[in-house]
Amino acid sequence: MNRRHFLQGAGILLTGGSSLDREAQASSQNERRILITSGETELAQVIADHLGRDRGVRLTGLTAVPSRFPFTACQLDHDSATDELVQGVEAIVHVADPPAGAGEREQIDHLTRRTYNLARAAVDAGVERLLFLSTLELMTGYDEDFLVSERWRPLPTTQPSVLARHLGEYTCREFAREQKLQVIVLRLGKVVKAAAVKGQAADPLWVEEREVAQAVAGALDAKLSDHAQGVGRWRVFNVQSEFPGSRFPVANAKGALGYRPWFKP
Amino acid sequence: MKVLIIGATGYLGPHVVKALEDHHQLLLTDIKPPKENTPHPFQRVDVSSMEQVQRAAEGMDAILNLSVLREHRRIAFDVNALGCYNIMRAAVDHGIRRVINTGPHFTITGPLYEGIDHGITPDVPPHPSTILYALTKSLGQEICRVFSQHHDVYVLDYLFYNFRDPKQVKRGSGGVPFIVSWDDAGEAFRLGLEIELDRLPSRCEIFFISADMPQGKFLNEKTRRVLGFKPKDDLAFLWRRP
Repeated sequence: MNRRHFLQGAGILLTGGSSLDREAQASSQNERRILITSGETELAQVIADHLGRDRGVRLTGLTAVPSRFPFTACQLDHDSATDELVQGVEAIVHVADPPAGAGEREQIDHLTRRTYNLARAAVDAGVERLLFLSTLELMTGYDEDFLVSERWRPLPTTQPSVLARHLGEYTCREFAREQKLQVIVLRLGKVVKAAAVKGQAADPLWVEEREVAQAVAGALDAKLSDHAQGVGRWRVFNVQSEFPGSRFPVANAKGALGYRPWFKP
Repeated sequence: MKVLIIGATGYLGPHVVKALEDHHQLLLTDIKPPKENTPHPFQRVDVSSMEQVQRAAEGMDAILNLSVLREHRRIAFDVNALGCYNIMRAAVDHGIRRVINTGPHFTITGPLYEGIDHGITPDVPPHPSTILYALTKSLGQEICRVFSQHHDVYVLDYLFYNFRDPKQVKRGSGGVPFIVSWDDAGEAFRLGLEIELDRLPSRCEIFFISADMPQGKFLNEKTRRVLGFKPKDDLAFLWRRP
């Protein structure tokens, strides 16, 4: 049985035979191995493309989809499949998008139970860092003229998509508090693709998907240390585009992650 | 008052029923029926089922959530976290303004508090830890808190550690520094149902339900002050020389 058949039998999809595929396969064997969740989503694919330039990238999702990167379907249950998923991984980018069309129950379950299972398995496997992609919608309850930084208290609503992200942060925070994982939370604005929103009136929360990928790369490389705005094991950053009328300041991400937003709607 | 009790047939439930049955109209629910005959109506309700919780909540004035699952990974999340979501949704949908939720002390004050501090009160930032039971209950409590911020529903969150029957324990036998008798625990629910909601400091309040403990580690002062809780059973003898 060759490697391709072996991996496919294990639920890992490898597609085609292009130079890009070879690059992806080669990069997956590099030392800096990154696991990205919600691999079915466009955002995860964009992040994988960005990180795959100089890192070994693997994707996982609830449902297998074709990808130029190794892809392992996994339900993130409390089982050996989740344990095996994180073996040899240096850092996890937990995109944490519930399945499309998920109801309130599934959204909360995905962001709490599956996040807990993933983090628990990561700890046991010696994963060093977990990036949790959250949402700036947790902070929109403040007056719009406030400059709301990462030090402000989240104000989640009871809307399941927002509440679930808050609970996901809540779950990850305990792993950081116990010093079991380094956790970096990136609170994202509304993720858009520049070409898709061209000509539209700007939403003050927009962030371009490639900006997110760049922030993720910066968060993977960032040195964490005791800091006036957070201890080394737990950091939170606002991540959105920066333009006249944009809602949240991103100075901390620029300073600590080398974030360089460029999208000007 | 019409009171829905979820998790009514567990360890704590019968003691709560005993404390309330002369004062309120009770609907008992659980996944298992009561072991003994009861004069109160019973419905089989799995708290992780939104549909079942919604149906049981119809026409109620208050909900007591005594449900708990400690060990199984999936069910702990279903019962302790999603269960609270279902209860709060049902409370909002049915105009129920009073919910008493329950959990262990480490819902809020986990090992980082207990192992180090004294004079611990319930009004501190939650540090539940990654212990499954603690974290899932803490997520449930956080769901309750968020709902109380956005809807006209009051949540009293009762935290416990250990229960004892004073007749069954010996002088000098010791224990954790946060114990209450079953009878006093039941009485706390009567107080929680009877306090006027506008006398609560906010729409989400957390209480340590404990006897007066000699160690000074966890404090029940707020429970005494706000709810008028006066534990009848003195358990300090657990730490006195035999």
